[in-house]
Amino acid sequence: MISNLETRELITLGGGGVLLHGTYHKATVEAPNGAAGSTKNIGVMFLNALSTPRSLIGESGVYWATSFAARGYPAFRFDLPGLGDSYGEIPNDLLKFTNEGGWATIASSKVKELVQSRGLSGVVMFGHCAGATTAIYAASECTECRGLILMDPYFNLPRSITPSLRPGLVLWARRSRTGALLRASYDRVRELRGALRKETLPANANLNLISRVKQVVSSGLPILIFRTPQPPVLGGTKLRAADFDYLAYVTSLAVRSNQFTIKAIEDTDHSFSNRAGRMAVRQHSEAWLGENF
Amino acid sequence: MSTQTRTNPASVLAECPGYFPVSGAHLYTVLHRVENPIARVLLVGPFASERHTSYRTWVQWARHLTAKGFEVLRYDYRGVGESTGTFEEMTFEAWTDDVHCLAAWLRKRERNVPVILHGLELGGLLAARAFHEGEADALILWSTPTDANKVLRSGLQQWIGPLQLLKPEDERKLPSHYFRLLEEGKSVEVAGYEWSAELWRQSLSFALPAPMTPPNDPAESYKRPVRVVPLGKNAAPLVKGAVPGYEENKDFSWLFDPNSHWIASSLSVPVGGA
Repeated sequence: MISNLETRELITLGGGGVLLHGTYHKATVEAPNGAAGSTKNIGVMFLNALSTPRSLIGESGVYWATSFAARGYPAFRFDLPGLGDSYGEIPNDLLKFTNEGGWATIASSKVKELVQSRGLSGVVMFGHCAGATTAIYAASECTECRGLILMDPYFNLPRSITPSLRPGLVLWARRSRTGALLRASYDRVRELRGALRKETLPANANLNLISRVKQVVSSGLPILIFRTPQPPVLGGTKLRAADFDYLAYVTSLAVRSNQFTIKAIEDTDHSFSNRAGRMAVRQHSEAWLGENF
Repeated sequence: MSTQTRTNPASVLAECPGYFPVSGAHLYTVLHRVENPIARVLLVGPFASERHTSYRTWVQWARHLTAKGFEVLRYDYRGVGESTGTFEEMTFEAWTDDVHCLAAWLRKRERNVPVILHGLELGGLLAARAFHEGEADALILWSTPTDANKVLRSGLQQWIGPLQLLKPEDERKLPSHYFRLLEEGKSVEVAGYEWSAELWRQSLSFALPAPMTPPNDPAESYKRPVRVVPLGKNAAPLVKGAVPGYEENKDFSWLFDPNSHWIASSLSVPVGGA
């Protein structure tokens, strides 16, 4: 067995008695004449998306890390304690734990450890879905984080409306024409309520996370956000318009005009793991990294 | 809430990730080392798209076995997870060859103890084929279908459901649409993996060896211990159907305890641990 390939190396971060297993993608840049070019001193650190191992769904994490490394940015993918190959216990309600910032302390301390051990000037944290939540919390607790790449971040807490309805009723509402009309009416009411309350956060907002977002944004950190198409109203062809626009709210907090870059990616799903999703994330991220670092 | 600050047990410090060279690729492996092991177990995990949901429980099973005195080797298929290789070029034969290579490596380790193959879902088919060809002293199959096409079909059906919700009604496609594309020789992208028409074609004939299908008694046919365990939905996230964020921490002692006990008793080795 070996731990070192030409472009990758298996590494650990063991500080503080917490051992994280990870993969390091070595930065390599080839100049036009074939010679080695200069590599960057900023790394990209990938976090788990909920319980997904560090490779992410469909190995998209491996793909992006490899791509960034080929552009000169050393990339690191780690499993947080209890996830992937790293040892540790996790709570029964992992989503709640993540939404409350349960990973923040360990993630931020490991960012510091990584920066010190690798002689980096800082890292860009890369998080998908729940991983984006962890990235925001961690960024608010360490100065070594120099930027954020967030994929389909969410700023609300899960609501349990559906389970309170009878399954048969839910199915009827989803499949029947009358149900579609009722849902459309419900959406209109929500849309109207949303328009009336304007900048007021809805009751399901993750206020703790949003306060951390404000903290991170106020420091001037550049933030790249990817979003997938919103799911259409079930049974119809119109996109749902009634939900509170958290992204608009968050970007309104910017302290400079170009602090946020938002990219909507079509033809992909929430995992961004298909060809179109991978490629778009790769291209936009590389361009964004080049502009900012 | 989590044990992030707890010191890692010695058994965890003995877990060694590495790359195992095979023809044209490097397999990502994790060896759960044990001093003076009573036996060695090669874990052959599920198909690519099931890897990320089952991963934590699969690792927990490896640690359970280690605590009982078994040395364990788990790995990613080539072209999948942390292993190198291009998924769309993969074949079931290549994945079976990898089982042989890893089992041979385990057999050659310093202490001569029995080697067990344990496969989950598609991994069960790969392990069964290697066992049929003479590999290993015992075999365990969890939730193993009769052929690989069943794995692909159910994987595609599982993937297509939530994906359809993102699409307007007139753009939604039934699984049969994708099955037809594969049968027509086209590749289809499923859960981030490019399924080649060739993989689909091979899956139709990549089946459990006849002695392992009912009503045959595989243990009688092979004269080596074989255990076949069907798993229901209560075994999620080890099998399909888990709700992400809520089921990763399930207690699997109902599955782990009898299976580690079976390995020990069928090979007449003294089981250790609590």
